[in-house]
Amino acid sequence: MSVIISKLYKKYGDEIIFEDFNLVFEKNKISGILGPSGAGKTTLLNLCSGLEKPDSGTIEGINPQSISYIFQEPRLLPWRTVRENLRLLFKEKSIRKAGAHESDIDGMLKLVGLGSVGDLYPQELSGGMRQRVAIARAFLYPSELLLMDEPFSSLDYSLKNRLIEDFLKIWEQDKRTVIFVSHNEDEIRQLAQVIFTFSDKPVQILKKETL
Amino acid sequence: MKISTFLENSQQSRIKKVLGKIGVAFFWVLLWALAARWVNSPLVLPSPLKTLEGVVTLAGDFEFFVSIGVTLLRVFGGVFISVALGLVLGLAGGLNKPFYEIMNPFVSTIKSLPVVSVIILINLWIASGLVPLVVTFLICFPVTWTNVVQGVRSTDKKLLQMAKIYNVEQSKIISDIYLPSVKPYAVSALMNAIGLGWKVTVTAEVLANALPSIGMNLYYAKIYLETDLLFSWTLIIVICSLVIEKITLYMIARNNRKGDGQCPLS
Ligand SMILES: Nc1ncnc2c1ncn2[C@@H]1O[C@H](COP(=O)(O)OP(=O)(O)OP(=O)(O)O)[C@@H](O)[C@H]1O
Ligand SMILES: [Mg+2]
Repeated sequence: MSVIISKLYKKYGDEIIFEDFNLVFEKNKISGILGPSGAGKTTLLNLCSGLEKPDSGTIEGINPQSISYIFQEPRLLPWRTVRENLRLLFKEKSIRKAGAHESDIDGMLKLVGLGSVGDLYPQELSGGMRQRVAIARAFLYPSELLLMDEPFSSLDYSLKNRLIEDFLKIWEQDKRTVIFVSHNEDEIRQLAQVIFTFSDKPVQILKKETL
Repeated sequence: MKISTFLENSQQSRIKKVLGKIGVAFFWVLLWALAARWVNSPLVLPSPLKTLEGVVTLAGDFEFFVSIGVTLLRVFGGVFISVALGLVLGLAGGLNKPFYEIMNPFVSTIKSLPVVSVIILINLWIASGLVPLVVTFLICFPVTWTNVVQGVRSTDKKLLQMAKIYNVEQSKIISDIYLPSVKPYAVSALMNAIGLGWKVTVTAEVLANALPSIGMNLYYAKIYLETDLLFSWTLIIVICSLVIEKITLYMIARNNRKGDGQCPLS
Protein backbone atom coordinates (compact mmCIF):
# COMPACT_ATOMS: atom_id res chain seq x y z
CA MET A 1 0.00 0.00 0.00
CA SER A 2 1.18 3.53 -0.68
CA VAL A 3 1.64 5.97 2.16
CA ILE A 4 -1.11 8.56 2.04
CA ILE A 5 -0.83 11.71 4.12
CA SER A 6 -3.95 13.83 4.27
CA LYS A 7 -4.79 17.12 5.97
CA LEU A 8 -1.77 16.77 8.23
CA TYR A 9 -1.42 19.41 10.93
CA LYS A 10 1.54 19.59 13.32
CA LYS A 11 3.02 22.36 15.39
CA TYR A 12 5.66 22.71 18.08
CA GLY A 13 4.73 25.54 20.43
CA ASP A 14 3.77 28.45 18.21
CA GLU A 15 5.70 27.06 15.28
CA ILE A 16 3.49 25.49 12.61
CA ILE A 17 5.41 22.80 10.74
CA PHE A 18 2.59 21.22 8.73
CA GLU A 19 -0.73 22.81 7.90
CA ASP A 20 -3.27 21.06 5.68
CA PHE A 21 -0.46 19.02 4.22
CA ASN A 22 -1.15 16.29 1.64
CA LEU A 23 1.28 13.88 0.03
CA VAL A 24 1.40 10.33 -1.39
CA PHE A 25 4.49 8.15 -1.31
CA GLU A 26 4.18 5.37 -3.86
CA LYS A 27 4.50 1.74 -2.90
CA ASN A 28 7.84 0.01 -3.51
CA LYS A 29 9.47 3.15 -4.86
CA ILE A 30 12.23 5.31 -3.48
CA SER A 31 10.82 8.78 -2.80
CA GLY A 32 13.29 11.53 -2.11
CA ILE A 33 12.67 14.65 -0.03
CA LEU A 34 14.79 17.75 -0.50
CA GLY A 35 14.32 20.81 1.63
CA PRO A 36 15.94 23.54 3.70
CA SER A 37 17.23 22.92 7.18
CA GLY A 38 14.57 23.13 9.87
CA ALA A 39 11.72 22.75 7.37
CA GLY A 40 10.24 19.65 8.97
CA LYS A 41 11.73 16.70 7.07
CA THR A 42 12.76 14.76 10.18
CA THR A 43 9.43 15.66 11.75
CA LEU A 44 7.65 14.08 8.79
CA LEU A 45 9.64 10.85 9.17
CA ASN A 46 8.95 10.82 12.90
CA LEU A 47 5.24 11.28 12.20
CA CYS A 48 5.30 8.44 9.66
CA SER A 49 7.13 6.16 12.09
CA GLY A 50 4.79 6.91 14.98
CA LEU A 51 7.54 8.41 17.14
CA GLU A 52 5.56 11.68 16.95
CA LYS A 53 1.79 12.09 16.80
CA PRO A 54 0.06 14.52 14.42
CA ASP A 55 -2.11 17.25 15.97
CA SER A 56 -4.70 16.36 13.37
CA GLY A 57 -4.96 14.68 9.99
CA THR A 58 -4.13 11.15 8.98
CA ILE A 59 -1.27 9.08 7.68
CA GLU A 60 -2.56 5.90 6.09
CA GLY A 61 -0.90 2.82 4.69
CA ILE A 62 1.65 2.29 7.41
CA ASN A 63 1.87 -0.77 9.59
CA PRO A 64 3.68 0.44 12.72
CA GLN A 65 5.09 -3.05 13.31
CA SER A 66 6.72 -3.00 9.92
CA ILE A 67 8.99 0.02 9.67
CA SER A 68 12.76 0.28 9.34
CA TYR A 69 14.31 3.63 10.15
CA ILE A 70 17.86 4.65 9.33
CA PHE A 71 18.41 7.63 11.58
CA GLN A 72 20.76 10.50 10.99
CA GLU A 73 23.13 8.73 13.44
CA PRO A 74 23.78 4.96 13.47
CA ARG A 75 22.15 4.48 16.91
CA LEU A 76 24.03 1.29 17.79
CA LEU A 77 24.39 0.05 21.36
CA PRO A 78 28.02 0.83 22.24
CA TRP A 79 28.19 -2.01 24.77
CA ARG A 80 27.15 -4.71 22.32
CA THR A 81 29.03 -6.13 19.35
CA VAL A 82 27.80 -5.59 15.81
CA ARG A 83 26.31 -9.07 15.78
CA GLU A 84 24.58 -8.56 19.13
CA ASN A 85 23.21 -5.26 17.89
CA LEU A 86 21.60 -7.04 14.96
CA ARG A 87 20.41 -9.92 17.13
CA LEU A 88 18.24 -7.43 19.04
CA LEU A 89 15.78 -7.56 16.16
CA PHE A 90 14.88 -11.18 16.81
CA LYS A 91 12.72 -12.54 19.56
CA GLU A 92 14.58 -14.44 22.27
CA LYS A 93 12.54 -17.62 21.79
CA SER A 94 13.07 -17.85 18.07
CA ILE A 95 16.81 -17.30 18.47
CA ARG A 96 17.05 -20.38 20.67
CA LYS A 97 15.00 -22.52 18.33
CA ALA A 98 16.81 -21.91 15.12
CA GLY A 99 20.27 -20.69 14.27
CA ALA A 100 18.79 -19.44 11.01
CA HIS A 101 19.02 -15.81 12.18
CA GLU A 102 22.76 -16.10 12.52
CA SER A 103 23.12 -16.94 8.86
CA ASP A 104 20.73 -14.09 8.00
CA ILE A 105 22.93 -11.74 10.00
CA ASP A 106 26.11 -13.04 8.36
CA GLY A 107 24.57 -12.76 4.92
CA MET A 108 23.40 -9.20 5.50
CA LEU A 109 26.78 -8.15 6.91
CA LYS A 110 28.45 -9.54 3.80
CA LEU A 111 26.00 -7.69 1.62
CA VAL A 112 26.99 -4.35 3.15
CA GLY A 113 30.66 -5.29 2.91
CA LEU A 114 31.19 -5.96 6.59
CA GLY A 115 31.75 -9.72 6.47
CA SER A 116 34.42 -9.81 9.14
CA VAL A 117 33.39 -7.27 11.77
CA GLY A 118 30.52 -9.11 13.48
CA ASP A 119 32.38 -9.51 16.73
CA LEU A 120 33.72 -5.95 16.94
CA TYR A 121 32.19 -3.19 19.03
CA PRO A 122 30.80 -0.06 17.34
CA GLN A 123 33.64 2.14 18.60
CA GLU A 124 36.09 -0.15 16.83
CA LEU A 125 34.49 0.72 13.48
CA SER A 126 34.80 3.81 11.32
CA GLY A 127 31.83 6.17 10.95
CA GLY A 128 31.05 4.74 7.52
CA MET A 129 31.14 1.18 8.79
CA ARG A 130 28.74 2.04 11.61
CA GLN A 131 26.35 3.60 9.15
CA ARG A 132 26.51 0.39 7.11
CA VAL A 133 25.59 -1.62 10.19
CA ALA A 134 22.56 0.66 10.54
CA ILE A 135 21.70 -0.05 6.89
CA ALA A 136 22.14 -3.79 7.49
CA ARG A 137 19.82 -3.52 10.49
CA ALA A 138 17.18 -1.73 8.43
CA PHE A 139 17.19 -4.40 5.74
CA LEU A 140 17.46 -7.31 8.15
CA TYR A 141 14.26 -6.18 9.79
CA PRO A 142 11.31 -7.42 7.71
CA SER A 143 9.56 -4.14 6.97
CA GLU A 144 7.34 -2.75 4.26
CA LEU A 145 8.50 0.82 4.78
CA LEU A 146 12.04 2.14 5.04
CA LEU A 147 12.65 5.67 6.36
CA MET A 148 16.08 7.24 5.85
CA ASP A 149 17.12 10.54 7.40
CA GLU A 150 20.28 11.82 5.70
CA PRO A 151 22.07 8.53 6.28
CA PHE A 152 25.06 9.53 4.18
CA SER A 153 25.53 13.11 5.30
CA SER A 154 28.49 12.49 7.61
CA LEU A 155 30.47 10.47 5.08
CA ASP A 156 33.10 11.52 2.58
CA TYR A 157 32.38 11.59 -1.13
CA SER A 158 33.80 8.25 -2.31
CA LEU A 159 32.46 6.31 0.65
CA LYS A 160 29.06 7.89 0.11
CA ASN A 161 29.01 6.81 -3.53
CA ARG A 162 29.99 3.29 -2.63
CA LEU A 163 27.29 3.09 0.03
CA ILE A 164 24.67 4.42 -2.37
CA GLU A 165 25.62 1.71 -4.87
CA ASP A 166 25.48 -0.91 -2.15
CA PHE A 167 22.14 0.43 -1.07
CA LEU A 168 20.66 0.23 -4.56
CA LYS A 169 22.01 -3.30 -4.93
CA ILE A 170 20.27 -4.42 -1.75
CA TRP A 171 17.10 -2.56 -2.61
CA GLU A 172 16.92 -4.24 -6.04
CA GLN A 173 16.87 -7.60 -4.27
CA ASP A 174 14.35 -6.51 -1.67
CA LYS A 175 12.15 -3.69 -2.95
CA ARG A 176 10.47 -1.76 -0.20
CA THR A 177 8.73 1.59 -0.01
CA VAL A 178 11.52 4.03 0.80
CA ILE A 179 11.30 7.62 1.99
CA PHE A 180 14.72 9.22 1.74
CA VAL A 181 15.50 12.65 3.19
CA SER A 182 18.55 14.61 2.14
CA HIS A 183 20.09 18.04 1.80
CA ASN A 184 22.14 16.88 -1.10
CA GLU A 185 20.59 17.04 -4.56
CA ASP A 186 23.18 14.78 -6.25
CA GLU A 187 22.61 12.10 -3.68
CA ILE A 188 18.84 12.26 -4.14
CA ARG A 189 19.14 12.09 -7.92
CA GLN A 190 21.32 8.98 -7.65
CA LEU A 191 18.82 7.20 -5.45
CA ALA A 192 15.28 8.40 -5.79
CA GLN A 193 12.63 7.74 -8.43
CA VAL A 194 10.34 10.52 -7.26
CA ILE A 195 11.65 13.74 -5.75
CA PHE A 196 9.67 16.17 -3.59
CA THR A 197 11.14 19.59 -2.91
CA PHE A 198 9.88 21.11 0.35
CA SER A 199 9.62 24.79 1.21
CA ASP A 200 10.48 26.15 4.63
CA LYS A 201 7.83 25.72 7.35
CA PRO A 202 4.89 25.55 7.17
CA VAL A 203 5.86 22.99 4.56
CA GLN A 204 4.63 23.34 0.97
CA ILE A 205 5.58 21.02 -1.84
CA LEU A 206 7.38 23.32 -4.26
CA LYS A 207 8.06 20.68 -6.88
CA LYS A 208 7.35 17.02 -7.61
CA GLU A 209 9.67 15.36 -10.09
CA THR A 210 9.45 11.81 -11.45
CA LEU A 211 12.70 10.41 -12.84
CA MET B 1 61.38 -6.60 20.66
CA LYS B 2 59.57 -3.29 20.84
CA ILE B 3 56.62 -4.84 22.59
CA SER B 4 58.78 -6.45 25.24
CA THR B 5 60.52 -3.17 26.05
CA PHE B 6 57.14 -1.53 26.21
CA LEU B 7 55.97 -4.15 28.69
CA GLU B 8 59.14 -3.76 30.72
CA ASN B 9 58.62 -0.04 30.77
CA SER B 10 55.04 -0.28 31.93
CA GLN B 11 56.11 -2.77 34.57
CA GLN B 12 58.86 -0.43 35.69
CA SER B 13 56.48 2.48 35.95
CA ARG B 14 54.12 0.31 38.00
CA ILE B 15 56.89 -0.61 40.37
CA LYS B 16 57.80 3.04 40.64
CA LYS B 17 54.21 3.91 41.48
CA VAL B 18 54.01 1.26 44.19
CA LEU B 19 57.35 2.36 45.63
CA GLY B 20 56.08 5.92 45.67
CA LYS B 21 52.97 4.89 47.58
CA ILE B 22 55.02 2.93 50.09
CA GLY B 23 57.22 5.98 50.52
CA VAL B 24 54.25 8.20 51.27
CA ALA B 25 52.82 5.67 53.74
CA PHE B 26 56.22 5.42 55.40
CA PHE B 27 56.36 9.18 55.77
CA TRP B 28 53.02 9.35 57.59
CA VAL B 29 53.82 6.39 59.85
CA LEU B 30 57.10 8.05 60.69
CA LEU B 31 55.28 11.26 61.55
CA TRP B 32 52.91 9.27 63.77
CA ALA B 33 55.85 7.56 65.49
CA LEU B 34 57.54 10.91 66.12
CA ALA B 35 54.33 12.40 67.49
CA ALA B 36 53.86 9.39 69.79
CA ARG B 37 57.40 9.78 71.07
CA TRP B 38 56.86 13.50 71.63
CA VAL B 39 53.54 12.96 73.46
CA ASN B 40 55.24 10.15 75.33
CA SER B 41 52.08 8.63 76.76
CA PRO B 42 50.61 5.44 75.24
CA LEU B 43 47.34 6.30 76.94
CA VAL B 44 46.95 9.39 74.74
CA LEU B 45 48.75 8.33 71.58
CA PRO B 46 50.20 4.83 71.25
CA SER B 47 53.07 4.34 68.82
CA PRO B 48 52.66 2.48 65.51
CA LEU B 49 54.66 -0.40 66.93
CA LYS B 50 52.45 -0.66 70.00
CA THR B 51 49.35 -0.54 67.77
CA LEU B 52 50.73 -3.40 65.67
CA GLU B 53 51.58 -5.37 68.79
CA GLY B 54 48.00 -4.89 69.86
CA VAL B 55 46.77 -6.38 66.58
CA VAL B 56 49.01 -9.42 67.08
CA THR B 57 47.78 -9.90 70.67
CA LEU B 58 44.15 -9.58 69.55
CA ALA B 59 44.69 -12.08 66.75
CA GLY B 60 45.69 -14.67 69.33
CA ASP B 61 42.09 -14.84 70.47
CA PHE B 62 39.44 -16.69 68.48
CA GLU B 63 36.83 -14.09 69.43
CA PHE B 64 38.78 -11.55 67.43
CA PHE B 65 37.90 -13.34 64.22
CA VAL B 66 34.31 -13.86 65.28
CA SER B 67 33.92 -10.11 65.89
CA ILE B 68 35.42 -9.23 62.51
CA GLY B 69 33.41 -11.94 60.75
CA VAL B 70 30.08 -10.86 62.23
CA THR B 71 30.72 -7.18 61.53
CA LEU B 72 31.71 -8.05 57.95
CA LEU B 73 28.48 -10.00 57.57
CA ARG B 74 26.50 -6.98 58.74
CA VAL B 75 28.29 -4.65 56.31
CA PHE B 76 27.90 -7.03 53.38
CA GLY B 77 24.34 -7.92 54.26
CA GLY B 78 23.34 -4.27 54.51
CA VAL B 79 25.18 -3.23 51.37
CA PHE B 80 24.02 -6.22 49.36
CA ILE B 81 20.34 -5.76 50.23
CA SER B 82 20.62 -2.00 49.57
CA VAL B 83 22.20 -2.43 46.16
CA ALA B 84 19.95 -5.31 45.07
CA LEU B 85 16.75 -3.56 46.15
CA GLY B 86 18.07 -0.20 44.96
CA LEU B 87 18.64 -1.64 41.52
CA VAL B 88 15.22 -3.26 41.20
CA LEU B 89 13.21 -0.43 42.79
CA GLY B 90 15.39 2.18 41.09
CA LEU B 91 14.62 0.67 37.68
CA ALA B 92 10.95 0.67 38.61
CA GLY B 93 11.16 4.27 39.84
CA GLY B 94 12.97 5.42 36.72
CA LEU B 95 10.51 3.73 34.39
CA ASN B 96 7.29 4.39 36.26
CA LYS B 97 6.40 7.92 37.32
CA PRO B 98 3.68 7.04 39.89
CA PHE B 99 6.02 4.57 41.56
CA TYR B 100 8.68 7.27 41.71
CA GLU B 101 6.20 9.68 43.31
CA ILE B 102 5.38 7.08 45.97
CA MET B 103 9.00 6.19 46.73
CA ASN B 104 10.52 9.64 46.60
CA PRO B 105 9.13 11.11 49.87
CA PHE B 106 10.12 7.94 51.74
CA VAL B 107 13.67 8.07 50.37
CA SER B 108 14.09 11.81 50.91
CA THR B 109 12.81 11.51 54.48
CA ILE B 110 15.32 8.80 55.39
CA LYS B 111 18.06 10.79 53.70
CA SER B 112 17.36 13.83 55.83
CA LEU B 113 17.32 11.95 59.17
CA PRO B 114 20.48 12.10 61.28
CA VAL B 115 22.16 8.68 61.35
CA VAL B 116 22.20 8.66 65.15
CA SER B 117 18.42 9.13 65.37
CA VAL B 118 17.90 6.29 62.94
CA ILE B 119 20.12 4.00 64.99
CA ILE B 120 18.46 4.79 68.31
CA LEU B 121 14.95 4.55 66.87
CA ILE B 122 15.60 1.24 65.15
CA ASN B 123 17.13 -0.07 68.37
CA LEU B 124 13.78 0.54 70.08
CA TRP B 125 12.09 -1.85 67.70
CA ILE B 126 14.46 -4.68 66.91
CA ALA B 127 17.19 -6.86 68.43
CA SER B 128 20.58 -5.22 68.93
CA GLY B 129 22.49 -7.62 66.69
CA LEU B 130 20.34 -6.73 63.70
CA VAL B 131 20.29 -2.97 64.23
CA PRO B 132 23.57 -2.28 62.37
CA LEU B 133 22.41 -4.25 59.34
CA VAL B 134 19.04 -2.53 59.19
CA VAL B 135 20.57 0.90 59.70
CA THR B 136 23.19 0.23 57.02
CA PHE B 137 20.36 -0.67 54.68
CA LEU B 138 18.41 2.47 55.59
CA ILE B 139 21.43 4.67 54.95
CA CYS B 140 22.73 2.94 51.79
CA PHE B 141 19.46 2.17 50.03
CA PRO B 142 18.44 5.81 49.33
CA VAL B 143 21.84 6.51 47.77
CA THR B 144 21.55 3.50 45.48
CA TRP B 145 17.94 4.13 44.60
CA THR B 146 18.54 7.77 43.69
CA ASN B 147 21.57 6.86 41.59
CA VAL B 148 19.76 4.13 39.69
CA VAL B 149 16.76 6.35 38.99
CA GLN B 150 19.17 8.93 37.61
CA GLY B 151 20.82 6.26 35.48
CA VAL B 152 17.49 5.20 34.01
CA ARG B 153 16.58 8.79 33.23
CA SER B 154 19.90 9.47 31.55
CA THR B 155 19.41 6.53 29.19
CA ASP B 156 19.79 7.73 25.62
CA LYS B 157 16.34 8.49 24.19
CA LYS B 158 17.64 7.88 20.69
CA LEU B 159 18.49 4.27 21.49
CA LEU B 160 15.05 3.81 23.05
CA GLN B 161 13.39 5.20 19.91
CA MET B 162 15.45 2.80 17.81
CA ALA B 163 14.31 -0.10 20.00
CA LYS B 164 10.70 0.99 19.63
CA ILE B 165 10.89 1.18 15.85
CA TYR B 166 12.44 -2.28 15.59
CA ASN B 167 10.03 -3.80 18.13
CA VAL B 168 12.79 -4.94 20.46
CA GLU B 169 11.40 -7.12 23.25
CA GLN B 170 10.73 -5.36 26.54
CA SER B 171 13.04 -7.71 28.46
CA LYS B 172 15.86 -6.92 26.04
CA ILE B 173 15.22 -3.18 26.29
CA ILE B 174 15.83 -3.57 30.02
CA SER B 175 18.81 -5.92 29.81
CA ASP B 176 20.52 -4.43 26.76
CA ILE B 177 19.72 -0.72 26.98
CA TYR B 178 18.65 0.31 30.48
CA LEU B 179 20.96 -1.91 32.52
CA PRO B 180 24.16 -1.01 30.64
CA SER B 181 23.20 2.68 30.91
CA VAL B 182 22.54 2.32 34.62
CA LYS B 183 25.73 0.34 35.25
CA PRO B 184 28.13 3.27 35.86
CA TYR B 185 25.58 4.83 38.22
CA ALA B 186 25.07 1.52 40.04
CA VAL B 187 28.82 0.98 40.36
CA SER B 188 29.36 4.38 41.89
CA ALA B 189 26.42 3.72 44.22
CA LEU B 190 27.96 0.40 45.23
CA MET B 191 31.33 1.99 46.02
CA ASN B 192 29.54 4.69 47.99
CA ALA B 193 27.46 2.14 49.85
CA ILE B 194 30.52 0.12 50.83
CA GLY B 195 32.32 3.20 52.14
CA LEU B 196 29.25 4.40 54.02
CA GLY B 197 28.30 0.89 55.13
CA TRP B 198 31.46 0.44 57.17
CA LYS B 199 31.13 3.64 59.07
CA VAL B 200 27.43 3.23 59.70
CA THR B 201 27.70 -0.40 60.76
CA VAL B 202 30.47 0.20 63.30
CA THR B 203 28.71 3.27 64.69
CA ALA B 204 25.45 1.37 65.02
CA GLU B 205 27.24 -1.51 66.72
CA VAL B 206 28.47 0.84 69.42
CA LEU B 207 25.18 2.66 69.93
CA ALA B 208 23.07 -0.49 69.89
CA ASN B 209 25.50 -2.62 71.94
CA ALA B 210 25.52 -5.23 69.21
CA LEU B 211 27.55 -8.30 70.08
CA PRO B 212 29.82 -9.76 68.85
CA SER B 213 31.16 -6.84 66.88
CA ILE B 214 34.16 -4.69 66.03
CA GLY B 215 32.22 -1.69 67.31
CA MET B 216 31.82 -3.04 70.83
CA ASN B 217 35.50 -4.00 70.94
CA LEU B 218 36.30 -0.39 70.12
CA TYR B 219 33.93 0.76 72.81
CA TYR B 220 35.37 -1.56 75.49
CA ALA B 221 38.91 -0.50 74.58
CA LYS B 222 37.80 3.07 75.21
CA ILE B 223 36.10 2.52 78.57
CA TYR B 224 38.97 0.37 79.88
CA LEU B 225 41.39 3.07 78.71
CA GLU B 226 43.21 0.62 76.43
CA THR B 227 44.12 3.28 73.93
CA ASP B 228 46.58 1.01 72.11
CA LEU B 229 43.78 -1.52 71.45
CA LEU B 230 41.51 1.29 70.32
CA PHE B 231 44.14 2.11 67.74
CA SER B 232 44.59 -1.56 66.85
CA TRP B 233 40.88 -2.00 66.17
CA THR B 234 40.79 1.18 64.14
CA LEU B 235 43.72 -0.07 62.09
CA ILE B 236 41.84 -3.31 61.49
CA ILE B 237 38.77 -1.42 60.28
CA VAL B 238 40.87 0.64 57.90
CA ILE B 239 42.63 -2.44 56.51
CA CYS B 240 39.37 -4.36 56.09
CA SER B 241 37.65 -1.52 54.29
CA LEU B 242 40.66 -1.01 52.00
CA VAL B 243 40.80 -4.71 51.13
CA ILE B 244 37.08 -4.86 50.45
CA GLU B 245 37.22 -1.76 48.27
CA LYS B 246 40.08 -3.21 46.22
CA ILE B 247 38.36 -6.57 45.82
CA THR B 248 35.16 -4.87 44.71
CA LEU B 249 36.99 -2.70 42.19
CA TYR B 250 38.81 -5.77 40.87
CA MET B 251 35.57 -7.71 40.43
CA ILE B 252 33.95 -4.78 38.64
CA ALA B 253 36.93 -4.39 36.30
CA ARG B 254 36.86 -8.10 35.53
CA ASN B 255 33.20 -7.98 34.55
CA ASN B 256 33.47 -4.90 32.39
CA ARG B 257 32.66 -5.15 28.72
CA LYS B 258 34.31 -3.11 26.06
CA GLY B 259 31.62 -0.52 25.42
CA ASP B 260 30.50 -0.18 29.03
CA GLY B 261 29.69 3.30 30.19
CA GLN B 262 30.30 4.73 26.74
CA CYS B 263 28.11 7.34 25.24
CA PRO B 264 26.42 6.17 22.06
CA LEU B 265 28.47 7.10 19.05
CA SER B 266 27.07 9.36 16.43
N1 LIG C 1 10.65 17.83 19.59
C1 LIG C 1 10.60 19.10 19.15
N2 LIG C 1 10.19 20.09 19.97
C2 LIG C 1 10.11 21.37 19.55
N3 LIG C 1 10.42 21.76 18.31
C3 LIG C 1 10.83 20.83 17.44
C4 LIG C 1 10.95 19.44 17.82
N4 LIG C 1 11.39 18.76 16.74
C5 LIG C 1 11.53 19.65 15.75
N5 LIG C 1 11.22 20.91 16.14
C6 LIG C 1 11.22 22.10 15.31
O1 LIG C 1 10.54 21.80 14.13
C7 LIG C 1 11.19 22.34 13.02
C8 LIG C 1 11.46 21.26 12.01
O2 LIG C 1 12.42 20.37 12.55
P1 LIG C 1 12.97 19.13 11.74
O3 LIG C 1 13.95 18.44 12.61
O4 LIG C 1 11.84 18.32 11.24
O5 LIG C 1 13.70 19.83 10.52
P2 LIG C 1 14.53 19.17 9.32
O6 LIG C 1 13.83 19.54 8.08
O7 LIG C 1 14.72 17.73 9.59
O8 LIG C 1 15.88 19.96 9.43
P3 LIG C 1 17.38 19.46 9.15
O9 LIG C 1 17.52 19.40 7.68
O10 LIG C 1 18.23 20.49 9.76
O11 LIG C 1 17.51 18.12 9.81
C9 LIG C 1 12.43 23.03 13.53
O12 LIG C 1 12.17 24.42 13.59
C10 LIG C 1 12.63 22.46 14.91
O13 LIG C 1 13.16 23.45 15.75
MG1 LIG D 1 16.44 16.54 10.12
